[in-house]
Amino acid sequence: MTSDRLLTAFTWTFLAFMFAPLALMIVASFNDVSPPSVTDWRGFTFKWYEFFWMDEARLRADPVLRTLDRERFYGCMGNSVQVAAVVVPLALVLGLAGAVMLTRWQSRANGLLWWVLLSPMLAPGVILGLSALVFWNRLGVDAGLFTIMMAQVTFVAGYPMLMLMARLQRQPPELEEAALDLGAGPFRVFRRITLPYLAPALASAAVICALASVENYNTTMFAKGGACTFATEIGAMARNANGHPPVINAVGTIIILVTVAFALAGALTRKREARV
Amino acid sequence: MRGQDVVLDGVEITYPNGFRAVERTDLTIAAGEFFSILGPSGCGKTTLLRAVSGFVTPSSGRVLIGGADQAGKGPNARPTALIFQNLALFPLMSVRDNVAFGLEARGVARRERHARAEELLALVALADQADKKPTELSGGQRQRVAIARALAVEPAVLLLDEPLSALDLKLRSHMRAELRAIQKQTGVTFIYITHDQGEALTMSDRVAVMNKGRIEQVGTGDAIYSAPETAFAATFVGEVNRIAGRVVAVEPEYARVETPLGVFRARNPRGLAVGAVAWLFVRPEAMQIGLDENAIPATLQRRDLEGPFVALHFSAGTEAGMGQALSLHRTNMGGIEVIGTEMRLGFRAADALVLPEGALAETGQELAAQ
Repeated sequence: MTSDRLLTAFTWTFLAFMFAPLALMIVASFNDVSPPSVTDWRGFTFKWYEFFWMDEARLRADPVLRTLDRERFYGCMGNSVQVAAVVVPLALVLGLAGAVMLTRWQSRANGLLWWVLLSPMLAPGVILGLSALVFWNRLGVDAGLFTIMMAQVTFVAGYPMLMLMARLQRQPPELEEAALDLGAGPFRVFRRITLPYLAPALASAAVICALASVENYNTTMFAKGGACTFATEIGAMARNANGHPPVINAVGTIIILVTVAFALAGALTRKREARV
Repeated sequence: MRGQDVVLDGVEITYPNGFRAVERTDLTIAAGEFFSILGPSGCGKTTLLRAVSGFVTPSSGRVLIGGADQAGKGPNARPTALIFQNLALFPLMSVRDNVAFGLEARGVARRERHARAEELLALVALADQADKKPTELSGGQRQRVAIARALAVEPAVLLLDEPLSALDLKLRSHMRAELRAIQKQTGVTFIYITHDQGEALTMSDRVAVMNKGRIEQVGTGDAIYSAPETAFAATFVGEVNRIAGRVVAVEPEYARVETPLGVFRARNPRGLAVGAVAWLFVRPEAMQIGLDENAIPATLQRRDLEGPFVALHFSAGTEAGMGQALSLHRTNMGGIEVIGTEMRLGFRAADALVLPEGALAETGQELAAQ
């Protein structure tokens, strides 16, 4: 009985510890004060959100917002989209190849290979960023979006690999064998049997890769050279000497909403699939 | 569709870990034959089937189909189609696309392959289910989709790996008849793997009994049931009484065996010599009450009413607790035996067999343990 109550108390403490900062951040994103605060309430406002689309005149009039470089922020977000647009498909292809190899190609080297393919996920991001920078510099490529992409792919590819492996291991091997037995070549077996089976896992892996790419800070920071991305720009804004502008709270709130939306969509898809 | 013959010429299969799954096997299966391989799980029968379909490469020996050596040909290049134990229907495709898949792989145009798929679905009485997904069908319907899908590629040899094992008893016996009919109708050679002697005996032209990687006997169901050649074949197929003994005298075609229950006379098809350690086998339906030939006094221990026949379980031999179990099936034309009654059992020498000692079926139907 007491152990039950202890567990309940622990659970609630843990949840509070996790979610209280998020709740404070969200509340502060609607408070008309900078730096953000929840105790010093100066009235409800949407302006930290409206920053992204408000007209120039209103922007100039606001003492906090006018110090921010909106155009630069847009540029950095655009860079993030470009990086993700390359990193996501590349990571999916690499992860898929790794997953197929590790589940279908029974070799004694598989254990070693598994660690080699996953080590970038475990290695410190700083090291990944630096090594990509050094490697590509030696090849004559200057730090920039390209080095960010290459550095991110090394660890992002691990996510789809793990997710696709889990799915492939649940596929009965007889399905591929049956297709082969009916006269299909290996490529057709992959395209008609394996790939459709993997489609839901590929979709969720793509979302996770995109989030991982856009939100990545440490690896990107070291590989970026003079370029910027969404995450590094938020980082730069947060290091403001006068405290960070509540615009960052607004961005954080939007990220939370997007993440929850994807998680819900994923859960609903899985539920529907389980029914079939 | 026309069946082709299958020849296994000295086929041996050893796994990379050194396990010998199939001992050297020579086997000829005629074109258009319904051939069953019957054996307990782990006897190597599925491995043998996979060697014919091309998923397993024999360590030595050749597989010939229609006279052509299949060495170097993968499963997609052989004139065979395999029906898997779990059927392996493609869950994301409609029933029609499942059946048409083999034709799709052969580059047949969509309209044509769909028409062919629908013809085959009509053959297995599923014409109205073409748009459904396999998961929406019943077990028996799924079974028929798997058959239609395999037949769509017009195989010369259809390989079936215990396809009925997931079905309930009633459906299973229905599907037996259906499989037999489809085989007759198409003329395709069927190689059917099963551990169920009932399936093997009812459907097959010929049966091979397999144990521990070795084919022990090949013959018609009748031959295997009434004239098993090994102790394993005798105990795995059907119920049988067995008594351990030693040959003490031989005559043409017959032998006398000394056992703890006395000396009995029985057929000696393997030509055992005097002194040989042997098993005496008698089917329960060959045992008779009150027969003087090969007489054994025994006490009735249990009576099982099976409906059309009654199974009587006896204990013979004098020492308490060391009794030899014997069972007898009699046609049920009425009459109730009383448990504990002493009776005199007997059997005709022509209905009993003396075979050399050897491996017995472990899970089998021998009646020793009560």
